[in-house]
Amino acid sequence: MLSRGAPLILSATTLSLLFVAGRQVDPSTARPPSPATIPFIEPLPADCVDDGAQQPPQFIEGGVITEDWPPGAIGGLIDPIRSVSDPFPTFDGLALDPVNDRVIFSDENRHSLLVYDRTAGGFEDDPTEPAQVVFGPKSKLGYIAGVEVDPARKEFYTVNNDGGDRMVVFAYGDHGNVAPRRTLLLPHQSWDVSLAPERDEIAVSVQQSNAVSVFRRGAAGGDGPLRTIRGLTTELEDPHGLYFDERHGEIITANHGNWTQIRPYTPYDPIATDLEYKSGSFHAASLTFHAATASGDVAPLRTIEGPGTGLNWPMGIDVDLSRDEIAVANYGDNSIRIFPRGERGDVVPLRVIRGPRTLIVGPVSVAIDVKNDEIWVANYGDHTAVVFPRTATGNVKPTRIIRNAPKDAATCGFTNASAAAYDSKRDEILVPN
Amino acid sequence: MPRISVFARLANGAVAPKRVIEGQTTKLSRTMHGIAYDEVNDEIIIPVALGGALLAFKGDATGETPPLRVIQGTRTRMVRPQTVAVDPRNNEIITADPSMRALLVFDRRADGNVAPKRVISGAKTGLLDIVGVAVDPVRNVIVASSRKGREGPTGLFVFDRLADGDVPPLRFIGGPASKLAHFRQVAIDPGTGNIFLAQQNTRQKRPEAYVLDKRRADFKEDEDDEEGGGALDRMGFIAVYAPGDGGDLPPRAIVKGPGIRHAGAGGVALNPKKGEVIAVGGNGFSTFLLPDFFHDLVKRPTTAPHGARDR
Repeated sequence: MLSRGAPLILSATTLSLLFVAGRQVDPSTARPPSPATIPFIEPLPADCVDDGAQQPPQFIEGGVITEDWPPGAIGGLIDPIRSVSDPFPTFDGLALDPVNDRVIFSDENRHSLLVYDRTAGGFEDDPTEPAQVVFGPKSKLGYIAGVEVDPARKEFYTVNNDGGDRMVVFAYGDHGNVAPRRTLLLPHQSWDVSLAPERDEIAVSVQQSNAVSVFRRGAAGGDGPLRTIRGLTTELEDPHGLYFDERHGEIITANHGNWTQIRPYTPYDPIATDLEYKSGSFHAASLTFHAATASGDVAPLRTIEGPGTGLNWPMGIDVDLSRDEIAVANYGDNSIRIFPRGERGDVVPLRVIRGPRTLIVGPVSVAIDVKNDEIWVANYGDHTAVVFPRTATGNVKPTRIIRNAPKDAATCGFTNASAAAYDSKRDEILVPN
Repeated sequence: MPRISVFARLANGAVAPKRVIEGQTTKLSRTMHGIAYDEVNDEIIIPVALGGALLAFKGDATGETPPLRVIQGTRTRMVRPQTVAVDPRNNEIITADPSMRALLVFDRRADGNVAPKRVISGAKTGLLDIVGVAVDPVRNVIVASSRKGREGPTGLFVFDRLADGDVPPLRFIGGPASKLAHFRQVAIDPGTGNIFLAQQNTRQKRPEAYVLDKRRADFKEDEDDEEGGGALDRMGFIAVYAPGDGGDLPPRAIVKGPGIRHAGAGGVALNPKKGEVIAVGGNGFSTFLLPDFFHDLVKRPTTAPHGARDR
């Protein structure tokens, strides 16, 4: 086939070849040529040009593992001399079902959901065996965070915070490498999910867009949110834990205090030129209370924030409706902090569970069991969850421990780590999450 | 969890970090896809994606310690910096901000609301989703890894170290033969100038379902969207190039196969003195003993295929 445009196209290609061989390339207009084509710098006569030859080479996935790729390269299929990883689950999210006597944990490390009998645990050194484990590629569990349970429907939800961007829903009885009963696509970096059964809605917190989105409870696939709370006025700043308080018509959110103006950033988004620039900022950690029907860039009804609160990377939260209290898993100082729900401002907690006897280490979630008068804590910092009397305070021992690894097993503490540096002065390896 | 974990180099197995930097006072957030250790000034430099900031810590920082310096504010032009490199020779910090589609160069000692010294950004640069950056003060280049859709330039972009504005790269490595697709961190061996790239997967990164809080109009759910490696044959690797490389080239050296699977290779760090390459990914890291990778990759004795690209 002949092409009238071919000589011009070829000239452009030739130009790019020259640049590749010389000083500069323009990657926005030309795919760099393979080395084999570099010598061909003279334009071909138009009647010799084949349209097919002008097509960029096709990208072919795979083909990595064969011995002949890359040709002549050194290295290849090599085993590491050392590897560091944690073979055991880590507890992250926690949801309690006192109706069916179950407790569900998300495991961000091994990408599983672990379901235990509510009375499980004790003081043994061996791991506590879960009654049910969801684990495997069919489950679509990635770097999961928050967990929620629907006792009436005997379903439990978790949110892929990274590596999946979806909520997945399973049922009691699901065990092993099983597909979710339904999935719901979510914004990237969604962290927690909370169910409002009477409103038949679920709320989801989203870290990077500083937002809370509310969906229909049974939403699935590509269903969009009913409403989203997002914007500078909301005071949502790197939101994590979430509680949909139907009784008081509020959505409560725990915030780390980081804020930046998220812009489209993926390889598929154009450069955003229509946004007024706002710089990033650091704020104090807080609890924000928004109306359950809030939508858009709306201010919170009130906040709990300030040095008296002791909030320090607050993660999961739960509300004790019978005592009108909020419990916060305060990761940064290894504590559980209990606040009066209706207060605002720089509120001193009513109680703090903290100290070496508590065995609280890097708590990520907390759940209150009014029926059985207990409070549960999931530790990210070691391989345990610990249970206390509901009104426990101070440096108290737990009443029982649930282990997902043998006692004293090391915890590496990785969360989808994607970078490293070598400290030549101390002969150490630095790994951020 | 948004923490910096510090491990002994010889750590092996299920090992806890020697120390951890974490807590409210540290100002860290998630999405720390880069980290730099400044061995001249004994400092750790880290980006805070969710706070639009760069932080510097003392090299021996531990626990809930505040940063020594914070670069943040309206003059910085940062939105969501993800990765970072440090150049102690020229006293500069280079960060890549995929939201601003820019490489920004700051004075290493900058603190507060400070403007960058130089910004590499614009259509001519070819940069879009910039996920890795490294600097070579010996050969005076900045190397960035950037991804752009399925058809755009996805690969390594080599710029003059002093480049500023909307300028094309000196060289570009990418294309079908390179198999560069879904990668992140870049590292440079200062002795040889060899460029190391951590690639998580040979699949192009899939579109996300949402653009911020709005559904992506043309999004199609991919039933096979595992990013962490997936099938062995398309899983990631550590690729190594010579300092003058450009074009659609396969790597001159590579670590691949089941040994890399554990790490997934989102990040890469180098210990040239011991000939070690550290690959980080998923929930772990692995160290490979590869002294050959720290030699001149062009002059080494080789068979035919690489001769064509030596220059």
